[in-house]
Amino acid sequence: MAETDDVTDAVRRATQGESSAFSELYRLTRPLVARLVAGFGTLSPDEAEDVLQESYVRAFRGLPQLKSPGAFTPWLLTIARNRARTRLERRSLLQRMEEERVDPTPETVPALPPTLQVERDIEVVRQLIAELPEGEEKKTVQLFYIEGQLSAREIAEQLGVGKSTVTMRLERFRGRIKRELLQRVLAGRWD
Amino acid sequence: MRHLDASAMSELAARDPQAVAWFREHLASPCEACETFLATHTDPLDGRTDALLLALAPARKAEEEGATVVPLRTATRSRRFAPPPARYWGWMAGALAASVLMVVLVPLVKGPARRDTGWTGEKGPGRITLELAVVARGTDGGLRRLDSGADVASDEVLLLRYHATESGTALLYQQRGHQPPELLGRFPLDAGTHDLEGLDGLAGVSLESDEGHLSLALVAFAPGEPASEQDALAALEADGSPDARPGTVVRFDVRVQSGQTLAP
Ligand SMILES: [Zn+2]
Repeated sequence: MAETDDVTDAVRRATQGESSAFSELYRLTRPLVARLVAGFGTLSPDEAEDVLQESYVRAFRGLPQLKSPGAFTPWLLTIARNRARTRLERRSLLQRMEEERVDPTPETVPALPPTLQVERDIEVVRQLIAELPEGEEKKTVQLFYIEGQLSAREIAEQLGVGKSTVTMRLERFRGRIKRELLQRVLAGRWD
Repeated sequence: MRHLDASAMSELAARDPQAVAWFREHLASPCEACETFLATHTDPLDGRTDALLLALAPARKAEEEGATVVPLRTATRSRRFAPPPARYWGWMAGALAASVLMVVLVPLVKGPARRDTGWTGEKGPGRITLELAVVARGTDGGLRRLDSGADVASDEVLLLRYHATESGTALLYQQRGHQPPELLGRFPLDAGTHDLEGLDGLAGVSLESDEGHLSLALVAFAPGEPASEQDALAALEADGSPDARPGTVVRFDVRVQSGQTLAP
């Protein structure tokens, strides 16, 4: 997950206005964004594609404000998640009252931890998954995050559960990981 | 026992020592309440968390998804108004339009010397009166208003804004040199000054793969008038001669130069 040199380099060139760098960024990061959006089982494939495209338009538009090229991918993923949630909220009645989620400003993305740290974090997450009690939730997390082939919709079909159930399981697990990361930040491991 | 909520998060962001001390301990073990809060709320950890989780699976080849249209840079010539690119441009241009175009263009309509301000227009005989303003958007997001005949770069996108005396419908054509006009799209017109906007959002004309003289023509029909493609083409052909044909034509010419955005 550490920003690859290719991505960092393309971000630099894109910031300087080199238009081919945008295509390259898109090509390099699209699989990740598509994967993230695929976790939202209640989005139709068309909606998922819309979310993906919107995310890039926003990210590219905000690129000049990005202070560190290394922060691009997490920032892009944050935008994509916000877009997906906004899209789903729009369907609900709440939408009338709720403001659209605002894109994060690039500065609010925590600085990139050193690569070694990242690899340790990945190990921690693997460990957490391994320690989950056997059951549907663990299966869902393994299928989506470890194998990384099926979308939430496909997982729902395979496990015979609702599409939103899969997304809820993934979100729940993600909450757990966020708790771990926040604890690390507070313990000074990221600063 | 204190769990995470919005105020706790802002205290943590401000590095409030008490909050940090408490949650450093509290979050060291699983907590349903705090995890639920984190799962459903947006904060700066989101991107890192997702990047981390998505790094667990084997990386996919970049080309695998096979996407060819980068959503900032539309589109092939034949699908210039194909829904996705037009929509995404529209989506972006919409935000711009609200802020910048409004400021740049609306005063021109209201001002007294409108003829000299970059609007091109034509009065239809007793029908819709239509004027058109065009703004070029560069890859850097900068906007510049164009006069008809202006030079534009092929990496710019043209955004159109019209002023109509009444509502109706309009067909937008492009014409290269002496080639026949090509239909780009059909748009509803509202009385007043508006961005040219279809059902998919605001219209942006990509100039990619173009070079040389390009003419845009908007053919407007009042509600009672027939508004088929045939009618529009007939109106285009009769352009300038005040015959009894329905339709009001307004043209805008640009000269497309290959390469980078031109300096304003
Ligand atoms: Zn708690």
